Amino acid sequence: MSGLPAQRRRNGAARAILLTAALAVFMLPLAWTALAAIGLRANNNTRPPSWVGSPTLDYFREVGIAEPSFWQELATSTVSAACAAALTVTASLPAAYGLARSHFRGDRLLTQGFLVLASLPAMAYVIPLSDLMRRAQLVDTFAGVILTEAAVTAPLAIYVLHGALSQLSSEWEEAAWLDGAGLFRVIGQIVAPLAAPSIVATAIIVFVLDWNLLLVPLVLTAGEIKTIPLAMSDFFTFERELEWPTAAAALIISLVPVAVLVMVFHRVLDRFALNVPRVD
Amino acid sequence: MRLTRRDRLVLFAPVAVLLTGWLVLPALLGLFATFTTYAPFGAAIRFSGLDNYAAVLRDGEFGAAVRNIAVFTVVAVPLELAIGFALAYLLRRPIGGRWLWRVLLLVPWLVSPVANGVMWRFLFGSATGLIDFGLGWLGRPDIPSPVGDLRLALPATVAVEVWRIAPFVAFLVLPGLSSIPSERWEDATLNGASWTRKVLDVALPSVRPLLLAITMLLIGLSLGTFDGVLILTGGGPGTSTVTPALYSYKQAFGVNDWPTGAASAWLIAAGVIGAGLVYLRVARTGQSG
Repeated sequence: MSGLPAQRRRNGAARAILLTAALAVFMLPLAWTALAAIGLRANNNTRPPSWVGSPTLDYFREVGIAEPSFWQELATSTVSAACAAALTVTASLPAAYGLARSHFRGDRLLTQGFLVLASLPAMAYVIPLSDLMRRAQLVDTFAGVILTEAAVTAPLAIYVLHGALSQLSSEWEEAAWLDGAGLFRVIGQIVAPLAAPSIVATAIIVFVLDWNLLLVPLVLTAGEIKTIPLAMSDFFTFERELEWPTAAAALIISLVPVAVLVMVFHRVLDRFALNVPRVD
Repeated sequence: MRLTRRDRLVLFAPVAVLLTGWLVLPALLGLFATFTTYAPFGAAIRFSGLDNYAAVLRDGEFGAAVRNIAVFTVVAVPLELAIGFALAYLLRRPIGGRWLWRVLLLVPWLVSPVANGVMWRFLFGSATGLIDFGLGWLGRPDIPSPVGDLRLALPATVAVEVWRIAPFVAFLVLPGLSSIPSERWEDATLNGASWTRKVLDVALPSVRPLLLAITMLLIGLSLGTFDGVLILTGGGPGTSTVTPALYSYKQAFGVNDWPTGAASAWLIAAGVIGAGLVYLRVARTGQSG
């Protein structure tokens, strides 16, 4: 048995080395980009390759010159993703609760069906949707984009929230029912506060999905509502002249809001789990 | 429980409206339209049978797209699962600053597919890129960007996607692995189990349903690949990285061929629904066993 602690130490060291190597691989491209954004670029024409440039924030200013509406697009992205995420979670929570607290034939199949629906690529339905939205005069409006994004992410939100709610003990709810509380009182005052970490975590993940979505705004807008991915895609489809440091600066700016969000709510994100419906 | 039928109706109503109006109805309308000559600004609609599907299947570009996405999915999904599982396995026991690790695992996924395409275009490029920098240090000559190479463009696209998604898979698998009671690891260790046995006998059976669910999501993500290639390669060179979703988009919004765009989009949906049916079956057998 004396070999065990030594072996454990060796395993611990191996684990630390492997993890650090993996971290380096996954972070290197972003570090490279961040360096370029502050003006430090590799020069591969020399042997051995060297670094050129000195630290500067000029390229961040350059973004606003190359794409004058960039800051407005940042605001558009924030508002539409926040509204869509709020709508997704608001609509999904009652449904997830209904699924978690009732037993009917095929309830598990329905839950798993939401996961399959969540896997369905938006491409499968955005072409006809663009025509429906045009007829409903919702093209190029916040309402059109937000409602569509909410529908795209709702199945995943239901699936995740269902997992969180089914692990919640129903003791408090029973007490509230006995006190004569109504359905929405039970959800608003008992279920939502108890499941708050999972709800917030789901909202954040959905926010990131909406923030990065290209296809929905691409197909449903005509210039009025422009999100960051749409602006970037337009820029690089039509004029590829942009310098690397400026592109890198734009990229870093588009990453910072979601990165900050994830850092601030890291404790809550620990509660994000794809809980698979259990056998009973 | 106490929920009545009326309660359930009220609870499901908001999501039912949202999903019917913005997802199910358009999808079904699209399916119906693929059998007609329907177009957004067209005047008369005629029934055209399977003409649209025949047109799509005859198109060599769609054939290339199907081949590409098959390779993409078959290579990318297992790699994402394997790397993601390995990372999560390394992080399963408490480690200093595990929350920071879990946040860092999310970071590549926070980069949008579009921004990712922009980033890797430059990183693959020679003047200031990452690859030639490494080659330069090894004293090797520069290589042309793989995304411009007929044979390397698809592998490069897969690599970029794996870079973005594998850590996210680890983020999703980690809660499953860390919820395994520590006695089960201890028992395995005391019985002298090697790490491969621990993975096969302790870890995998516990997270099997979770891995299945993640696989489903990854297959859908893969089959719908659109913005990941739009900027990185634009489908090129030639048709070497075109995907069915990119093809649909180009047909519908590029050359205004609405029916073929919708028909090819429905073929993607059919693929995902097929995978979904398999998933529902496999997930169920796993539960009863």
